[in-house]
Amino acid sequence: MDLERASRIATGLGQEFLTWLWFVSERENGLFATPDGEAFRFFVEQRVRVTGGEGEGRETAVCSGPMASLAEARTGLAAGKKVDSVRLRLEKDEAEWSVSVDAARLTLTSLKTPKVDMRLEEGEDPDARILEKLFLLEQAMDFVDALWARFVMLRFSPAWEAEVQDLGRWIDRRGRFSD
Amino acid sequence: MGFLAGSTSLTRFRLVEDTVEPTILAEAAERLRRYAFRDIDNTAEERSFGWVAFGNMLDTSFENEPVDLGDYLVFALRLDTRRVPAAVFKKHVTVAMGQALAAAKAEGKKFLSKDEKLEIRERVALALRARFLPIPAVFQVVWNVRRHHVYLASVHPKVIDLFHEMFSQTFDLHLEPMDPYFAARALLDASKLSLLDDHAPTIFTPGVA
Repeated sequence: MDLERASRIATGLGQEFLTWLWFVSERENGLFATPDGEAFRFFVEQRVRVTGGEGEGRETAVCSGPMASLAEARTGLAAGKKVDSVRLRLEKDEAEWSVSVDAARLTLTSLKTPKVDMRLEEGEDPDARILEKLFLLEQAMDFVDALWARFVMLRFSPAWEAEVQDLGRWIDRRGRFSD
Repeated sequence: MGFLAGSTSLTRFRLVEDTVEPTILAEAAERLRRYAFRDIDNTAEERSFGWVAFGNMLDTSFENEPVDLGDYLVFALRLDTRRVPAAVFKKHVTVAMGQALAAAKAEGKKFLSKDEKLEIRERVALALRARFLPIPAVFQVVWNVRRHHVYLASVHPKVIDLFHEMFSQTFDLHLEPMDPYFAARALLDASKLSLLDDHAPTIFTPGVA
């Protein structure tokens, strides 16, 4: 597998993942669990970028805003675009994370964890704070990985075809009602 | 922005090797020291890069701050770059060209050759670089030894490439990016890998686009 082809597959697969993620977050009200049974919630919010076409015909639409209904992005999906980047909110119990996920490389940008107070009390081990922060960062990674694993298993199974039909109907419904 | 900041941007990698020799982990600090950052403040070099301690970009000995932290090895990649602003460079090249042309005319020549012009540009670049301080940038690295995952606090392709190369060189280990292609490969049975390699994008909205 040459790297150029791998990179093209990566982008295509990443876009399918994020488009599917938006659909699933609405269909399942954001309820999800890791393979270890750790329940969490996830929501697509604030910022979605959709893209379609290739080369000079490539078009991108970015929707953002704290209360945005993401209407333009929904219309974009209806016109055949796919989600290229998305901002997710992840919740577990009282804790909350937010992170932007990029389709082409699955990089996690502007990842915000529940707050860790980095100021040290007297005599406190500074490593404890770092370990707490790393634990919280890895929790967000675990949540994204759980979503990714579910997508990959579905994507390369016979059930994908039925899922694509459902997703198409969702796009059709949301695209039509978005304006 | 590093891992301890309020907001972090990161790229993840997986070790290609299934097992890591315990000696590699035990001698991590020694290996990092071998490729530690080298200061270029008092030179005219354009850039320098190497490892520094996780929480202190001036610490290249890894003695004040341990690299081991529970299940993790933590350190950072430092990259210093000298940048001469384009307008400054252009002005000094114009001045130097003017002087060289005047000198050439005094010798009866009418113009500067291509090689002479190139030599002037290189000389000016070197002289100016020596007058600008390098700008330091630090990218923290966290290696989860138990998971065989490595996180780099950067999403810039050039930094990622540099890190990738430095890591392999330092530890004699190989990383693969956890991008959609490799992250799918890691999950799929061997029987399904051909489906991934033959991947054709799904059309969600038949009839459009």
